[in-house]
Amino acid sequence: MSELTTRGRRVRVVATFACLALLVAGTFFGDDDHFPFGPFRMYASSPDPDGDAKDTRVEGVDVTGKTIVITESNSGIRRAEIEGQQAAYEREPARMARIAEAYAEHTPGAPALREVRIVVRWHGIQDARPTGTWTDEVVADWVRP
Amino acid sequence: MITRWLTEPVPRSRVAFFRTIVYVFVFLDLVVFTPWVRAHANTPGDLYQPLMIGRLLPLPTPTPLLVNTIFWALLVLSLAAATGRAPRLLGWAVFILYFEWMIIAMSYGKVDHDRIGFLVALAVLPTVGRTRFRDQSLTEAGGWALRVTQIAVICTYFLAALAKLRIGGLEWVTSGVLAQAIIRRGTELADMIAVVPGLLIVSQFGIIAFELLSPLIFVVPQRWRNWVVAFFYSFHVATFATITISFAPHLIAMTSFLPLERIGRLTRRRAGSSAATADVTPD
Repeated sequence: MSELTTRGRRVRVVATFACLALLVAGTFFGDDDHFPFGPFRMYASSPDPDGDAKDTRVEGVDVTGKTIVITESNSGIRRAEIEGQQAAYEREPARMARIAEAYAEHTPGAPALREVRIVVRWHGIQDARPTGTWTDEVVADWVRP
Repeated sequence: MITRWLTEPVPRSRVAFFRTIVYVFVFLDLVVFTPWVRAHANTPGDLYQPLMIGRLLPLPTPTPLLVNTIFWALLVLSLAAATGRAPRLLGWAVFILYFEWMIIAMSYGKVDHDRIGFLVALAVLPTVGRTRFRDQSLTEAGGWALRVTQIAVICTYFLAALAKLRIGGLEWVTSGVLAQAIIRRGTELADMIAVVPGLLIVSQFGIIAFELLSPLIFVVPQRWRNWVVAFFYSFHVATFATITISFAPHLIAMTSFLPLERIGRLTRRRAGSSAATADVTPD
């Protein structure tokens, strides 16, 4: 068996506890910005069991009038990334021109988008179960000037 | 005593198999599991919102040249590292590049939480030095590498439970969190489950109980440990079957709990006596 030197052992123990301390601190006081030591906050919120559930999508309307759902595969931008920056898009809809650009870049040959909008579909929830009903709300809309 | 536990020796062969699994996964992650990271090569630069680490270091705003250079370098280096050759040089190179790859991935408004164990594995594997598939001699450095990967894997559960209590509070267990998740990304199976009264709430109790109890894996008798790991994997099978979240890098890091050296014995047994003279390990 090969044993560690006293120093090798000490360095490893210190590194272990230092990282663990950062991770625990991140869990209690940090946020996503502190990656890789931020809190493991996937699905950590407590939405109202009788509140509507939000299902966001991004749509584009091309110059032929066709509506296209913007996805990771046709724009290179993930839905969660657009949601993560949703407030910025709402404040400044012109920012959505970037989504149209990303779509043009990732879907060469497709007709250009003349409109991009973020639509939230609110699904009804009752007793923590989906009711099967929904309404759509446009939260940000950009039309090519 | 804690030091002895942290560096409890393991067979070199186990680390050798773990190393190959981890580096092969880096390759697969780039091309199969998270191909969207590469798409950030031509995401407009002003959508880049660097994480704290990206601002501190400070890392450059991704350009097509940067993203594609890292992509191709990682493809080549990860396969080279998977052979077990030059474990320190290749290991550190893969760790640094993959870490930067992940910082790019998480800097566009969404941070994923499925790969802390995997990042820890990449960070510690270079410290083990040379290992071979057939070398059953024990190593403390390898024992530490596997142990800290295991700890990071369990942190992903245990600290996730604490994050739920911090962010969602105790009412998390009776909230609409799973109903919301199913509406966003539910499969047909999930839609069938979602309508059963109370089932999602029971699942939420189950999830937080399992996450809070997960550290017990370190104290259960060895003969039960593989069953506990099997239970962890089954949780992810259920998650994938209902909301298509795979946690793939986490699943790879979790192999650090398994007696991987048995892969060698299995393949040798299958190969029969002729294998006795052929070495499966590159030298």
